[in-house]
Amino acid sequence: MTRYFLTLISFFLSLCTFAQGESVATSNNFMLSNHKVFVSVAVLTIILLLIFSFLFWIERRLKQLEDRQKN
Amino acid sequence: MNWLYTKWWKWLSAVLLFYVVIGSYMVPLSPGISKIGPLSFSPDSIYTFTISGYHTHFKDPGVGKIQFWFKSGNDYFQAKDLNILSANTGEVKFGIGSNQQDSLKTNNFDIIGNDDIDGTFALREGVTLIKASKVDSSSTVNATTGPVEVVHNKHQFLAFPYREILYESIRNTFFHVPMWFVMTALVFFSLVCSVIYLTKGNSLYDVFAHQSIVAALLFGICGLATGMVWAKNTWGHYWVNDPKLNGAAVGVMIYFAYLVLRGSITDEIKRARIAAAYNIFSLVIFALFIYIIPRLTDSLHPGNGGNPAFSKYDLDSSLRMFFYPASIGWILLGFWIFSILTRLELIKQKQEL
Repeated sequence: MTRYFLTLISFFLSLCTFAQGESVATSNNFMLSNHKVFVSVAVLTIILLLIFSFLFWIERRLKQLEDRQKN
Repeated sequence: MNWLYTKWWKWLSAVLLFYVVIGSYMVPLSPGISKIGPLSFSPDSIYTFTISGYHTHFKDPGVGKIQFWFKSGNDYFQAKDLNILSANTGEVKFGIGSNQQDSLKTNNFDIIGNDDIDGTFALREGVTLIKASKVDSSSTVNATTGPVEVVHNKHQFLAFPYREILYESIRNTFFHVPMWFVMTALVFFSLVCSVIYLTKGNSLYDVFAHQSIVAALLFGICGLATGMVWAKNTWGHYWVNDPKLNGAAVGVMIYFAYLVLRGSITDEIKRARIAAAYNIFSLVIFALFIYIIPRLTDSLHPGNGGNPAFSKYDLDSSLRMFFYPASIGWILLGFWIFSILTRLELIKQKQEL
């Protein structure tokens, strides 16, 4: 399973290679040119990070409760 | 049951959603025409039209030959005397003779442009011809059809399609649409659990059915919220009288009623049985309101009421690169939330015993 998971991640990481050839067209992009897009991405990434941290934290707490009930 | 506790698919959900959020915002929009003026014109006069581009590169040294056409039906009339004002603005001259007006299939003209950097871009039904009541035989104005040279954008590897009204908000496709996929997947899962409960009588399936509806409602509310924000930016109002919107609201309320019904019955077995039976009917009504009725009547939503669906025109390969991972990621997140709610409920039940 780990192998399939890593293959999938590497597939998505291949997008980074496209980013190397930044074109003339992208350099004039509205959202990229005023840098506001980076603020949006940063805010969304932080929100996602908080959501996933919270979910993993709950998972850990639930595991502790389940183990306590078993014992 | 073990799948509730395994972690790989939860990590997969996190990876997919980070990929979608970061990746989709970094992909630019394709060039397009945002507006043109004047919006209407009469025959037998030459008009100067100002064309405003979006992400275009009219002033760039590598732009090559910039061309514009006015398209009516299958006829492409070439615009003349192009005057470039800036990277995103240009002026062209165009007119049509009154003796040509009757041969046109439609009075609405699409504006099509192309150059070596931006490729071919267009504005659908940008200009309208107001037909003359009489044909002026002395008129010298005569629009000429020109050969259309379609140039593909060679410089931009990955770009989302430029769509009028949607513009940059097209990225909401990765958030709004999957919310309903998640809700549908969870309510369908809930239905299966309810059917199993009614046939086998195992109370675990009642917990599954109940908690999947709770998780589904969370995504239903998110679907309504993302849809409302999108509607404000595209249609001008948070809520319009659209059968899909009203159907979605009714669909969400049906499942809120499921929770109210459960809460109103104190006997555990009776509650589980009545809720399971209600759940089966709920999915039928939910599917009817969200997937069937909007397709039978006029609707603003793509793919409904005769409108072309996203898959036909708009969901191109660049959108698919994010849309499919987004759908999978959000569905996995939905089931993750469901697994947490279920485990919590099972812990509560064990404690009560």
